[in-house]
Amino acid sequence: MELSTVQADAIQELGNIGAAHAATTLSQMLGSTIEMRVPDVRVVDLARLGEYMGEESAAMVAFELQGEIPHGGYILFYITRESAIRLTNTMLGQTEMNRPLNEMDESALLEVGNIMVSAFLDATAELLGFVMLPSPPALTIDMAHAAMQSLIAVMNGETNEVLLFSTELVCEEHKIDSDIILMPETNTLQKIVKKLENIMNGN
Amino acid sequence: MPDSQLPSEHPVMIGIGEYRVGSFPMMTIGLGSCIGLTLYDPIHKVGAMVHIMLPESANRTDRPGKYADTAVPLLVNELVAVGCKNRSIIAKMTGGACMFEYFGTNLNIGMRNAEKVRQMLNEYHIHLAAEDVGGKVGRSVTFLPDRDGSVTVRRADGTSSNL
Repeated sequence: MELSTVQADAIQELGNIGAAHAATTLSQMLGSTIEMRVPDVRVVDLARLGEYMGEESAAMVAFELQGEIPHGGYILFYITRESAIRLTNTMLGQTEMNRPLNEMDESALLEVGNIMVSAFLDATAELLGFVMLPSPPALTIDMAHAAMQSLIAVMNGETNEVLLFSTELVCEEHKIDSDIILMPETNTLQKIVKKLENIMNGN
Repeated sequence: MPDSQLPSEHPVMIGIGEYRVGSFPMMTIGLGSCIGLTLYDPIHKVGAMVHIMLPESANRTDRPGKYADTAVPLLVNELVAVGCKNRSIIAKMTGGACMFEYFGTNLNIGMRNAEKVRQMLNEYHIHLAAEDVGGKVGRSVTFLPDRDGSVTVRRADGTSSNL
């Protein structure tokens, strides 16, 4: 799996649009400014996944990409455990940081993930002209690598690489750092790239 | 890849689908549905570790460490090649969790991984001395062949236990 510069740029642009919409919804939920970093597109060898995702504790809300492409890959809302507590504290009007995440936090995280990922996919659908629908969300709060690895294991088993496409969203005011990570299956990636190439060629 | 000359201060990281053989410390981090399998021969004081992702290779041969059905024979052959006997090898297995409950059976690949490893070990007459598998929890494993093949499992909440 190799992306040309043009393809990588195109996907980055897609990420910009999707993440900008997701950032807007997060900004509305928190009543605070959200900054968006430049989307990062990389092809990672499975054996090297540990260099990008480690043992750090994080909350991840995962959705399978469905719709026109039935098993299109996964999209995740990723947030470190500390940021997750700050996020739900801000939403629920609390301040205590040294506490376990409870059911209330979990439903808040699921809801935030749901809203942001839906906004991301709505925006990309408009641009691409085909729909990627999110499945119902699944939440885990554990080692980041363990969660990512579990999703990758159920994707196309023949490939030894995975495309990780992440955009960081930061709320300076509340020190909240999160990511939206798209892991498209090869078929989804090909379709996205083709559509983007057509758009750039004015078709 | 027999590699017994490496320095033993820092554990060697075993990424997904990778394996190592030797008497130096080894480590796999963040096992979800994956399996961290260690084999240790107390007579030769040598061990092997592999990071398995899927149960069946379906005839793919590019990364034998990635699949349970090819990883077990691979490790056993490597240890036999340095003089170990199947009956003296001790196996320990970690991982095979189901991190996302909602995706259900689709993601219960962890259980299938563990089952396949047990079956393969049985086929090769390797004794499975201990396992810490299943549940909804990520695990990191440190393997010290230079210290009697000790296996330590660490979880996200900071707790750790010896296997």
